[in-house]
Amino acid sequence: MNDILKATRLDLALIKPYMKNICFTVAIPVAFAAINRSLITGVSFAMCFIAMTAGYTFSVSEKSGMDRLYGILPVSKTHLVLGRYLYTCSMGLLAFLFSMIVHPIVLKALGTAVWPADICLAAILGIFMFTLYTVFQLPGYYKFGSINGRIFMYIPIVGFLAILLFVSKLNLTSHPAIAALVGNPITAIIATLLVCMIAYLLSITVSIKIIRSKEV
Amino acid sequence: MKLIISNVSGIPIYEQIKQQVKSAILSGELQEEEALPSLRTLAKDLKISVLTVTRAYTELEQEGFVKNVQGRGCFVMGRGSELIREQLICKVESNLSEAINAAQIADLSLQELHHLLDILWEEKKNG
Amino acid sequence: MDNFLEVSNLSKAFPGFQLQNISFYLPKGYIMGLIGPNGSGKTTTIKLILNMLKRDGGEIKIMGLDNISDEKTVKASLGVVFDSNYLCEEWTVTQAEAAVSVFYKNWDKKKFSELIRRFHIAPEKKVKELSKGMQMKLMVACAFSYDAKLLILDEPTSGLDPVSRDELLKILSEYIEDGEHSVLFSTHITADLERAADYITYISYGKLFFTGNKDEFVDMFRIVKGGRNELTLDLSEKLIGIREFSTGFEALIKSEDIKMFSHLDVEPTTIDDIVVFTNQEGDHYE
Repeated sequence: MNDILKATRLDLALIKPYMKNICFTVAIPVAFAAINRSLITGVSFAMCFIAMTAGYTFSVSEKSGMDRLYGILPVSKTHLVLGRYLYTCSMGLLAFLFSMIVHPIVLKALGTAVWPADICLAAILGIFMFTLYTVFQLPGYYKFGSINGRIFMYIPIVGFLAILLFVSKLNLTSHPAIAALVGNPITAIIATLLVCMIAYLLSITVSIKIIRSKEV
Repeated sequence: MKLIISNVSGIPIYEQIKQQVKSAILSGELQEEEALPSLRTLAKDLKISVLTVTRAYTELEQEGFVKNVQGRGCFVMGRGSELIREQLICKVESNLSEAINAAQIADLSLQELHHLLDILWEEKKNG
Repeated sequence: MDNFLEVSNLSKAFPGFQLQNISFYLPKGYIMGLIGPNGSGKTTTIKLILNMLKRDGGEIKIMGLDNISDEKTVKASLGVVFDSNYLCEEWTVTQAEAAVSVFYKNWDKKKFSELIRRFHIAPEKKVKELSKGMQMKLMVACAFSYDAKLLILDEPTSGLDPVSRDELLKILSEYIEDGEHSVLFSTHITADLERAADYITYISYGKLFFTGNKDEFVDMFRIVKGGRNELTLDLSEKLIGIREFSTGFEALIKSEDIKMFSHLDVEPTTIDDIVVFTNQEGDHYE
């Protein structure tokens, strides 16, 4: 476990010089939430943007030829991969917490009511989208590197547009499935978390498989 | 003790070390029981291979100039300077007999040979 | 555990290149030079030692432990210097230390700051602002700060000026002085090894040409020089490699054949001569 944390720390050290950019991408969606007067829009954008920064660690390490550092550190490749997932999820969690606290405050200040149903839906959507965006990206970067793997960075955008389209076609609160979820928020959140966990497990397994067979 | 290594002399480095240690013993610069520089320190200082110094020291030991005390280092043997003198006398003898051979071919008399030696001796002395 | 590194029958095949049955061992307390022309398999060998490439066959032991099944233990006492920097370019020297040091239990902060002071590396400088020589020395400082027992250097001197190269040799000589550390030094600039290396492992076209004592290696061969008409048929059969020019020839011979050439100019060789003459086009010496 300790090794995973060390690997996460190393990733944090990698993106430290780019921390400003990352904070910026999390701050911008506050404006989206304010313009659209919608918590769901704001949180979705925030999670999409932070998911798009998941490639930073790969780009930075590739630029400096750090594959060789990973090759000499006394830490297993599995732990390095787990550390990177932990880093990615931690960044997602920070962005999530920030958005879930700041966006409602801003909206309330602007006089928009924020219902518990909105908060619940925004949370579920935010977590689900972040997961969807990262589980494909990370194995893609491990397999193809940060430049060729960049195609996977656009999955969040495509996914985001698709979901927006999908959501806009539904009359949110009146749809029975959504209504059922909103009516039973705890089940909804647990179901989301479960789906996300399975998705991450699969993604991690694939990434470890890729990195184990990789020769640098 | 002075120890310097030439890269252009063509003489192997271990041989250079041996020669310089021997002349230091003969000149009395290295006294009986005095320690040679530690093997690894000398290698570091001269930036040469440890094995090269090991070879020089081992051969010096085999020839009876120094003795190796496990864990303490290499020490100059009492008979060291005597040995070197013997070796040098041998060298003088063989070179002189070569000179005699050449003199006989050139039909020089012993007197003439003596005379030549005197001149060369003087020249060497006066630099 | 007298050998810090033991490589036995190591093989690895790539499309178009094969490393075949490489075996050598490096005793504790000595410097070994890994030599050969570019593309001969030096870096492949090092990457196999580091398990950055998967070996097809053979065995690698570092301080008695297998380099794959005991990878973590092995790497905790292994220092590596590559031909170019492996640290994040945007880091300052201090940040680089903070990032790397957490991985080593016995990281000595005091030693690191002493080393970078000695190497004249400013701690507040970014890695990318350091010269190539400084970056190399920073990697050395990292390896020394956790007291790596075996230091592996992969072409560390390519692109370095003579001053930095000399400094590195001085650092390495000091490093092995206590007899408790070993160095594996891959280079095609053999002048670096001419004096300081104890052992030589010479790989050519993916095959082991020689491994053992450097002085013996250099002593195995001689350079012979003469006029073109002095090169008779039976003599030329004994040549390992030859360079002919309008007024004469230069060739590499085995020391055991020296008597046949006693009427010509015979000189001691350098490692460079041996590598050059044994790697001539179309004339592979087996």
